[in-house]
Amino acid sequence: MTALLRVENLRIELATRLGVAPVIDDVSFELAAGETLSFVGESGCGKSMTALAIMGLLPDKVGRIAAGKILFNGEDMTQASDERLRSLRGNDISMIFQEPMTSLNPVFTIGEQIAEVLRRHKQMDKRDAWKRAAELLDAVRIPDATHRVGHYPHQLSGGQRQRVMIAMALACEPKVLIADEPTTALDVTIQAQIFDLLEDLRKDMGTAIIMITHDMGVVAEMADRMIVMYAGRKIEQGDVHTVLDHPRHPYTKGLIACVPHLVATLDEHRPPLTEVSGIVPGLQEFGKNECLFASRCDRVVERCLRERPTEQRFDKDQVSACWQANTL
Amino acid sequence: MSQEHTGQADGASSSVAHTGQTDPLTVHSKTKPVVDANVLLRVDNLRVRFPVKGGLFARKQWLNAVDDISFTIRRGETLALVGESGSGKTTAALAVAQLVKTYQGAIKLGDTDWLALSDEQLRVARARMQFIFQDPYSSLNPRLKAEDIVREPLESLQSVPRADHQGIVDRMFESVGLRAEQKKLFPHQFSGGQRQRIGIARALVTRPELIICDEPVSALDVAVQAQILNLLKQLQQDYGLTYLLISHDLGVVQHMCDSIAVMYMGKIVEHADRLSLFNNPLHPYTQALLSAVPSVDRELRQKRKRIVIQGDIPDALNLPSGCRFASRCPRVTDICRTTEPELKRHDVKQSAQSSGEHSVACHLVD
Ligand SMILES: Nc1ncnc2c1ncn2[C@@H]1O[C@H](COP(=O)(O)OP(=O)(O)OP(=O)(O)O)[C@@H](O)[C@H]1O
Ligand SMILES: Nc1ncnc2c1ncn2[C@@H]1O[C@H](COP(=O)(O)OP(=O)(O)OP(=O)(O)O)[C@@H](O)[C@H]1O
Ligand code: SF4
Ligand SMILES: [Mg+2]
Ligand SMILES: [Mg+2]
Repeated sequence: MTALLRVENLRIELATRLGVAPVIDDVSFELAAGETLSFVGESGCGKSMTALAIMGLLPDKVGRIAAGKILFNGEDMTQASDERLRSLRGNDISMIFQEPMTSLNPVFTIGEQIAEVLRRHKQMDKRDAWKRAAELLDAVRIPDATHRVGHYPHQLSGGQRQRVMIAMALACEPKVLIADEPTTALDVTIQAQIFDLLEDLRKDMGTAIIMITHDMGVVAEMADRMIVMYAGRKIEQGDVHTVLDHPRHPYTKGLIACVPHLVATLDEHRPPLTEVSGIVPGLQEFGKNECLFASRCDRVVERCLRERPTEQRFDKDQVSACWQANTL
Repeated sequence: MSQEHTGQADGASSSVAHTGQTDPLTVHSKTKPVVDANVLLRVDNLRVRFPVKGGLFARKQWLNAVDDISFTIRRGETLALVGESGSGKTTAALAVAQLVKTYQGAIKLGDTDWLALSDEQLRVARARMQFIFQDPYSSLNPRLKAEDIVREPLESLQSVPRADHQGIVDRMFESVGLRAEQKKLFPHQFSGGQRQRIGIARALVTRPELIICDEPVSALDVAVQAQILNLLKQLQQDYGLTYLLISHDLGVVQHMCDSIAVMYMGKIVEHADRLSLFNNPLHPYTQALLSAVPSVDRELRQKRKRIVIQGDIPDALNLPSGCRFASRCPRVTDICRTTEPELKRHDVKQSAQSSGEHSVACHLVD
């Protein structure tokens, strides 16, 4: 696999009231052109932080890249100038953010906002940019697009606003699209439309997609490969079907088993859900030389408490950071 | 009379036992007599509407957020309301709890004509029906200690002697899996899941018969969701609780409910027991909805065909004359555009597993 994006030993530190915490702690992964890679994990595990680091948009003064490389087509983005990052961000890598309403400007029409992106990054003139904006809205299936370009964000439904965000992210035909929980606030029927759209994009333009989600169903449906994050660390990685069929980390196993999934044929049998007790540790716990999942783990052994698990490799590029991975 | 708080709820008499007097709330009923004595909540032809501001000279307009819906919930069972965002689920639940005004219709809780209660009667009767809200962050008073939050609803119940309050609160803490030393903490000192447990303890403390859960786990992480869902089921068994559950997560609904009502633009379009609805959805909207849920179950993903619905939701203030789903329905026919389909009982072969109650509002299903 030739990687379009390669992240090597990334460490991101956040300055908190209680000191500096590694919100991303030695994370490496690759992304190939045209593939969909999913990041899953509970709230606060560092999924959005990983995305923001790739975008060069870590929270100012609070977060910084402390170690590691982010290589895009071989170029190390952690060393790039602000200007270079802005250009990469506009043209090659774009992101759909977690909250659509806060990412659209309420005082400009959606057409103006898309056209602005095109003028800045594609040097289009006003008329062409406006025309292209309408085409993009049409491409993301906003009904009556030529008329809708003149609408303000509040005149659209939640699903339509999210599609506008996608249209904006697509405006410059990026090579990498990062979608951070792009459908969490939407009805599943609308979610299905958005997923179809992303799927078409990947097929037609070869866009590589990083899909951040907390929903294993979405992973199963959308992704080729997946990475499970826990407390700032990559704790499991692999081909989606391999990991779902045979998770090699107790956390992944728990995440799959604790959700009441829809099944092909429902019957009367309804055992209680598998529970993963406890919650994700606070930021001040991140970085400790131990397995940060140990307090919630039913497989914990003494070693887990005194040494951070190293990555164990299995068939088909499956990786698990668990001392007990072999026995799972 | 001493309060036995942890016993089994015993159907109709539980509120009577709890308030320590014969039910003063039984008012003559306007609706037809309840046939099934096991029915706890009966909602008939409920309508809720909101005024909508038009232009400067425009006439006042009404949005029918809930438009003539009827359903019942049997004691000890769970009915789920599902459907598109804005379809009226929360509004229906709020109307049942008398937290928004009902415009038309009848609501009976047990033998009580719920809408005919005086303010004072309602204040007492509220103990029989409690609400668990979606947001465990904003629904708890930040200035009260956890135990005071849980105790509060008891205080409006003169029937429970003050001396018994602490014991009841302590038992509630235990029932929802909170530790005794956590009673003195404030909401911000709890995690989201723990806050939801406080909300549940508070809802249970008056020994209600009906609990309305509006998206009780959607603000929680999946692992914590499982803890809360198991807790709700356990409490249902222990106390014989009846739930009205609202959730957009069909996996959760499938796991929790006994029957489901699917709403679309203020109407119930399909209503069936759990197995019939999930294994044999009949309304095109329900079919599309179920087909769109992403699942880890490979057999399901291979077997089903995703039905993507296009098109826009019609203007709620200017409803089409026919079926409200017609503008997006993949199976639309001429009659759909002119005549509104009624919710009709669909005859299903009584299988061993389904109770055979299945109603659909679609011209193509009979
Ligand atoms: N601007 C910020 N300043 C300080 N801490 C932050 C900031 N943004 C995020 N954090 C913290 O960094 C950690 C990781 O956050 P991140 O947003 O990456 O989580 P996530 O996995 O995306 O979670 P979610 O599923 O809730 O979106 C969390 O503990 C969070 O509180
Ligand atoms: N207080 C109110 N005043 C005016 N309109 C309202 C009010 N409350 C709700 N509505 C409208 O009534 C309709 C039904 O809203 P409701 O909150 O019941 O939907 P819902 O099915 O619970 O949706 P969701 O899944 O998004 O929670 C919506 O169109 C909503 O905008
Ligand atoms: S390393 Fe130990 S504590 Fe961590 S997940 Fe594996 S078995 Fe559990
Ligand atoms: Mg996030
Ligand atoms: Mg609602």
